[in-house]
This record gives sequence, structure tokens and C-alpha cells, in this order.
Amino acid sequence: MSKALVCSCEDVTVEDIRHAVAKGFRDVESVKRFTGFGTGVCQGKSCLSAVGALLAREKAQKPEGIVPFTPRPPLYPTELSLLASFPVDESKPPVGGVPQELDTFPATLRPEGAVPTRARVVIVGGGVLGLALAYNLSLRGETDVVVLERGYLCAGASGRNGGGVRMQWGTAANIELAKRSIELMGRFARDLGINVWLRQGGYLFMAKTKAVAERLERNAALHNKHGVPTRMLTLDEARDVVPGLSLEGAQAVSYNPEDGVIFPWPFLWGYANACRKAGIQVETYTRVTGFELSDGLVRKVKTDRGDISCDTVVLASGAWSPEVAKLAGVSLPNEPHRHEILSTEPLKPFLGPLVSVLDSGLYFSQSMRGEIVGGMGDPLEPAGLNMGSTLRFVSRFARALTEQLPNLGHVKVLRQWAGCYDVTPDNSPILGRTPGLENLLQLSGFVGHGFMMAPAVAERMAQWMTTGASDELFTRFNLRRFQEGKLEREDMIIG
Amino acid sequence: MRRLPDAASRGKSITMDLEGETVPAIEGEPVACSLIAAGESVLARSIKYHRARGPYCFSGACSHCLMRVDGLPNVYTCRVPARDGMKLERQNAYPSAKVDVFEAIDWFFPKGLDHHEMFAGVPVAEQVMAKVARQLAGLGLLPTAPAPERLPVETVRTRVAVVGAGAAGLAAAQVLAAQGLPFLLLERDSVLGGRLLSGVPEADAPPPPAEGLLAPERVRTRVTVIGLFDDEEGHLLAAVSEGTGEPRLVRVYAERFLLAPGGHPPMLPFENNDLPGVYASHAASLLVRRYGVAPETAALVGSGPELYALARLMTERGTKVVAVVDLKGSPPADAPAGAVHGSEPKAHGHNAVSGFSYQDASGRRVKVACDAVLVAVAPSPSFELARQGGAKVEYDEAREVFAVVADAEGRTEAPDVYVAGDVRGARSAAQAAADGRRAAEALVQSLTQAAVGGKS
Ligand SMILES: Cc1cc2nc3c(=O)[nH]c(=O)nc-3n(C[C@H](O)[C@H](O)[C@H](O)COP(=O)(O)OP(=O)(O)OC[C@H]3O[C@@H](n4cnc5c(N)ncnc54)[C@H](O)[C@@H]3O)c2cc1C
Repeated sequence: MSKALVCSCEDVTVEDIRHAVAKGFRDVESVKRFTGFGTGVCQGKSCLSAVGALLAREKAQKPEGIVPFTPRPPLYPTELSLLASFPVDESKPPVGGVPQELDTFPATLRPEGAVPTRARVVIVGGGVLGLALAYNLSLRGETDVVVLERGYLCAGASGRNGGGVRMQWGTAANIELAKRSIELMGRFARDLGINVWLRQGGYLFMAKTKAVAERLERNAALHNKHGVPTRMLTLDEARDVVPGLSLEGAQAVSYNPEDGVIFPWPFLWGYANACRKAGIQVETYTRVTGFELSDGLVRKVKTDRGDISCDTVVLASGAWSPEVAKLAGVSLPNEPHRHEILSTEPLKPFLGPLVSVLDSGLYFSQSMRGEIVGGMGDPLEPAGLNMGSTLRFVSRFARALTEQLPNLGHVKVLRQWAGCYDVTPDNSPILGRTPGLENLLQLSGFVGHGFMMAPAVAERMAQWMTTGASDELFTRFNLRRFQEGKLEREDMIIG
Repeated sequence: MRRLPDAASRGKSITMDLEGETVPAIEGEPVACSLIAAGESVLARSIKYHRARGPYCFSGACSHCLMRVDGLPNVYTCRVPARDGMKLERQNAYPSAKVDVFEAIDWFFPKGLDHHEMFAGVPVAEQVMAKVARQLAGLGLLPTAPAPERLPVETVRTRVAVVGAGAAGLAAAQVLAAQGLPFLLLERDSVLGGRLLSGVPEADAPPPPAEGLLAPERVRTRVTVIGLFDDEEGHLLAAVSEGTGEPRLVRVYAERFLLAPGGHPPMLPFENNDLPGVYASHAASLLVRRYGVAPETAALVGSGPELYALARLMTERGTKVVAVVDLKGSPPADAPAGAVHGSEPKAHGHNAVSGFSYQDASGRRVKVACDAVLVAVAPSPSFELARQGGAKVEYDEAREVFAVVADAEGRTEAPDVYVAGDVRGARSAAQAAADGRRAAEALVQSLTQAAVGGKS
């Protein structure tokens, strides 16, 4: 069949690029995510300039707005076993990293014209939480909403995460939220018309120390109480679930077959499309630069495209939340922490569940496309909005991964990248009203699990916002708890 | 593709095992080269539509030649030297790459397949699709054995690291050598020279590097740089060295980085541009110049001086050039006879190129029979390392590529990163060499100034 290919690694055609442009994805980063071009084995070497030329020719973008996507290391596919050989001094904290153009979206990418001068609700941040909330507001009839996003959709953690969704948590609140989210994810395509590729292959948690093993056991009992079918596996059973898995040193293994993985990117378009259809404005490449306050209320949101007066502002800026809150004089206890992650060449399916060693924070799964996607926290990572990629990470990760699944040694890494966790002192989110600024609502602090919580949290928050009915979620997780010392500690954090 | 008569002398004749069949090869030559010379044009099936694929770029910049080699998935057969008894398997095809039943996907979806919206929300279809997609996903199989223990990482400290031994990198290295400055030149290929040796010949190009041009301890071949990172000590290049056979990781710390990695052969979007038998000009010139392998008849499409130079090269080496189509304008006065201005190129054929057509200036569609289509367009600058080091990259509207922004001396926004050659946007070999020299001189000066500044 006759087709004109642009990216032959991923079979992306000229028509696909045009289709993306017609759908409103007009910059290289967005087109990349929508079509998948440049995400295959060659990582854009053969297609990037051709796509740039197409966007220029289609007048999708001014020449100054045609900026390349960030080239991710490694430059050529590189075996995990080789990367694992790089020596790492574990006693020293990581530094720097391959830089990313995240602060410098060219002004030409900004949509022309001003933003609306007034809206009932302004949501700061077009990540999964901001968009999910906007969508849920529209379901309840509130469509006088503007979502402001300083970059492209997927620029924040929502475009950079591992796509893991699980019900295995340490607190009743999180178990219930995750359960509901997974239910909503299963219906996402029906409700919003976009496939998000939920695959319930389970989550297999491994504990290598006694303390963590006890935690897994205790939590499994809690899961069962909430109807989550988590089981403690024997090592033989675990081997059956993941053939080839090394269980050396494993003290306990828990497994819930209903956990799974999703493909994060389409979530954002799904929500954004539905919002736009309902009349909500989703403004990308629009940055919030300040707030106008008086009498304990936010009156206006200032942006680099004009000011918007409003009744309610929602702070859903993920790892940037402390920075944005500061613009309103509010100090949040959240801290951004870099988390690095990588993806390998795609392989035919062989790995069912997402596997995680809870002690070290190693996790890996096989995506719908066949890639092994995984990451591992670094205990020495300093706080900061750093999204650089380091050799230290690929080395630590490659070593830990090949220890668990030795046959991955020859498998090649295609790209590594980083995102920021939005970490709170108790690993639980900040939700609800801001003390002293009543119409500033908090929706941040989701650490490494905001994606899987978004559908359920957004549903509850939209309900709470539009009906005024009280919901304990917004008191339990209120900012006030940090002053009052009533922390909501979650202990099943991968990281 | 066929071997030219003088090709027999190029190496030892061996055989490889292609899915149980014995195919002839020449030892040390890229596997993909031996395969196409043996008449095997389909090496792979594409990931989504299962389209037939044969090698395109011969420089590890596309994915058309990936095969399972000795049990390892997704190996660039355009980069791996042939060895006797090598076991080759095509991937992503059932029951075989030649008769792949999944090829039907390509035919069922002539307008392409939007997997975001397809069957979204259609209750049963959606679930079936998810299951089918999962089974069809991925390229290659998980290896059945762990990798061997790797050699310990080698650490090199030098004052200047030069990446790429083409015209630009070599000229730069010569300047550094003349100045007596410790440097290390890293080259991915097994020989120095880059385009000077394997590219389309240029009249004013500098001569290919002579034996002993640079001291052996200053040069490393078969070293692929994979990233420009930083750590506690500052910027470093991470590279995979295959010089001694066993791959090992090398890290190179330097005070300055002179990046001259050239460019990647891009895809030129036209109908069936991925058909086996469509080659980048770089691939065609490399095959004919280094390995003596060339098509019988070829159509050429593209723009710029490389298009015409390639036509001359192919004709000289016995390929019948049946069309030379310039997409950007009328051919210059000295263009080979028969060259025309045309548009809407298209490759024809089922699993391999059998013809080529285009629209001529009067709007008429012209079709010719051929067994290869050669695409000559400006390479896409390999800006990745420079960008990772902090340099700026911009879209160059005239050349339709992303290129590193640098001043005339090759200085970038990152004080320790210099660039030269095609990485700045397509250059002739002579310009690239001049770039290399200038950048090296500026770099030497910056080091001297730094030393003086440091003392004061
Ligand atoms: C490596 C990694 C792996 C992860 N793995 C998982 C996982 O497996 N499962 C899971 O559930 N979660 C995971 N997470 C966490 C998850 O991605 C986040 O919790 C979630 O995406 C947060 O969504 P958000 O909308 O709050 O933030 P974001 O997606 O970061 O959105 C915030 C947005 O605000 C924008 N913004 C910032 N400042 C401004 C401003 N001044 N004006 C306008 N806009 C602004 C940003 O550009 C950004 O797009 C992972 C995170 C990382 C980094």
C-alpha cells in the first residue's frame, strides 16, 4: 500500500502529521507525542528535520516556533549491561544533568490574542490533575473555566511518568481513590473517545528487608479489607508470574493482579479535547506570572497573555506549585525532586506486571508498545526543579534492573529523561482551601502517584466545588495539617 | 544490487545463516551490505503496518535494517561486520518476512491507523483491539541469556575531545597536533575520513587522510559517543568502544569539546519512501565506494550539488541512471544530461523497488523502471551532543534542518563546546575542513587565554 513515511521507525506518515496539525498539535513536541514520531529506535535522527519542514510548509508554525524536541541520551541504542558498568559514587549526591529547554518556550509558540478577561474558575497547570478537574467540572455544568499551561500538554510530570496504576497502598484513602481511578480508566475510552491502553497485568512488589516485608504483609491485609485482591506470593509463585525474575534476597512478595499500566500521553488529550468540546478554554504556552489579591481573595490571575479576573483559582501546577503559590504569597511545604526514568527498545511482550523492589525504589514494566519503562529513586537527589538526565541514573538503574532480570543485559536503552515528583512531608497531597486565601484551591503534592489518583480525585473535587457538599478528603488533606501536625503518612511510595 | 566486478578482491568469502538458508557474504563487510549484494532485499518488517523494509541509511540513523543477530534483537545490520556462520533472523513477521500475513494491516488501513481513537469506546472491539495490539507490539524477542560481565569502564582525561573524524574533525585535529595540545579524536567508523572516503565525491574536497597523519595515541576508531553528560568533575563524553572486540564504556573528560559528528541521512517524505531499494545518497556512495556494491539501474531524487555528484559517481561505476529529479529547481548547466526539475516523487514496487515516477515541469507524470531509488538531500545535523552540552539549536528554514547555532569560529552558547562541519548545517567537505581549522584555532586561543587568566 502506498504511504509516505516521515518516521519509519514508528510508521508515522505525512498524513499522520497533517492529522495532528488539524487536531491543534502544531509544535514539534506536541506532534511528537500525538503521532509518536521520533520515539522509536532511531530517536528522530531520520525524521526530525522532515517533520520540521512539514510543519513549516503546512504553516502550522512560524519558523522561530519550530524548535527541535530535546535530544535524549543515549545518542545510539546502548546495552543495559554496558551502562551498568559505569562506576557510581553512591556517597555523593547527583549533580547537573543533560539540560532541557523547559524554561525557555519561545514566545512565538504562544497562541495569538489575549486570554479571556474573566472566568469563574482558573486552573493553573495543564497536567493530568488540572485537566481532569476541568473535565469533571464540565460534567457538572461548570464550563466557565480556563486552564493555563505554560508549555505543551505533557510538559510536566504528566508527560514524563511511568504510567503505573495500583491499588496497593498503605492508607485507606489512597486505596479507595486508586480503586475508583482504575475503574474510571477502564471507561475512559467510552467516556472520552480516546484509548489510554489500560493493561491490568498486576503489580508485583518485592521486599528485601524485614521491615519492608512486614509493611507489605500488613498492607495486603488492609487491601483485602477494601476488596482489593492482593496476595502474598511464595517465591515459586512469583517466578511463575514473572519468568526469569531473580528473587535473590526477597523476603516477601505481594501481588495484585488488578493493578496495571497505562499510556499517560493520551490521557491529556482525552481530557483536553473533552474540555474544549464543552467550551472550556485550555490555553497552552501561557504562563501565570502573578496574582492580584485583595481582602483575602484572589481577584485576578496574571499571565503573559493578559489578566483574567475570576471567582476561584485552582493551583494544579505539580512540582511548580510552590513557585506559583509564592506568587500569591502562600508558602507550601512541597519540594520538587527529580526522578529519572528510561525506556528501552521495544520487545515482544514477555513481562506481565509492573515489578517494584520497594526497598530500593526500582520499578519496571513493559509498556503497551513493548518497551521496558522503568526508574529508580536516588536517596541523595537534592531538591530542585532539575530535569536533566545523568549517567549516574542509567548506571544505577541498569545495574539494579539486570540484577532482577538478568536476560535484559543485552537489551538496549533508547532514551532517558527526568521529571519532578512533587513531594510533601507526609507523601500525601495538598487539597482544598488555602487558609487566608479562601478562593485559592490546592490540588498538588501528588509525589509519584498523581497520575493514578487524578481521575478519582478530580471527580471528588469537582463534586465538592460545584455542590458545596462537604467531603472529608478536602479537610483530611488540607494545607492546615502541616501546622496542626496531623500528618497523613503514606508508606508505600516507590522512590 | 550487485557486486561490481572488482569486488571479489575485497575480502574473504564466507557464509551466514539467514533463517536456515545459507547466504554468501564477505568477512568484515556490514551484514546488510552482504545481504543486499546476495539479492536479499527484505531484511525486516515495520512495527505497525508490517511494511517490507531493507537498509536505507547505512549509518545507524534509521531502523530499516534491524534484525535478530545471533540471538540478539534489533541489531543494526548496517553497522555489524559479517562473520562466518552468523545467524540472522528477520523480525516482526509471521510466518516469514517474505510472506507476512500481517502485511494485511497495511492494506486494511490505506489512510493510516489512528490508534488513539480507533474503536475507542466500542465495548467488545476495544478490548479485542487492546489484546491484539499487545500481541503485535514490540520488535524482537527478549534475549535468552544474560550479557557477559563487561570490562571495567576506561577513563581518559585530555585537554580537547574531538568527536568525528570527517573533514572537519580531521582538520581540527591537525591544528591541535601542530599546537602540541593533548587531544583525543573519537570516530565511530573503523577508518578515518568520514565523507571524504565514503561520501559522494566533491571536486574541491581535501584529500582523504594519509596513513600516519595523526599520532596513534591521539585517535580512537570504532568508538561511538553516546552522550555529553556532566558529573562532579564537569562535562564528560560517554562512549562505547568496540576497538578491541569486546565492547566497553569509556568516559572522556576534557576542557574543551570540539564536536564534528556530521549529520544523519534524513527521510525525504514521498510515497513508498520506505520500500526496500530506496537508499540515502550516503548509503549509495558508501556501498559503491567502499564495498563495490551498486544497483543495476537507479533513479535519483533530491536537490543540491550532491544529487548531481551522485549521478556522476553511479554512472562512472556502471549503474544505469534512468532519472535525476531535482525537487528544488531547474538543474544547473553542468548537470548530467537528462536531469530535470520535478515534483511528487513516488517509488513503485511491492516488496522492493521496481520503478519510480514523478511529475515533470509540465505537470505530466513520468514513470521509469529501476531497481533502486537514491535520495540525495542535505544531511540532518547530528546536533544531539552539542545540545546536551548546552549549545543552542535552531531551525534553518532555507536548508530545512535543525542546526547548531555557532559563530564563525565554531563557538556555541556553551563555553566549552565548539562545533564544525555538517553539524552546523550542510557544508561541503572543503568548508567543513575550514570550519574545523577555525574552530580548533579559536579553541586553542580560549585555552591559552584561560591559562593566562588563571595565573593573573
Ligand atoms: C519519573 C516519574 C515517574 C512517575 N511515575 C508515576 C506512575 O507510575 N504512576 C503515577 O500515578 N504517577 C507517577 N508519577 C507522578 C505523576 O506523573 C504526577 O504525580 C502527576 O503527573 C502530577 O500531575 P499534575 O497535573 O499535578 O502535574 P504536572 O503534570 O507536572 O502539571 C503541572 C503543569 O503546570 C504547569 N505550570 C507550572 N508552572 C506554571 C505557570 N506558572 N503557569 C502555567 N502553568 C504552569 C507545568 O508546565 C505542568 O505542565 C511519576 C512522576 C515522575 C516524574
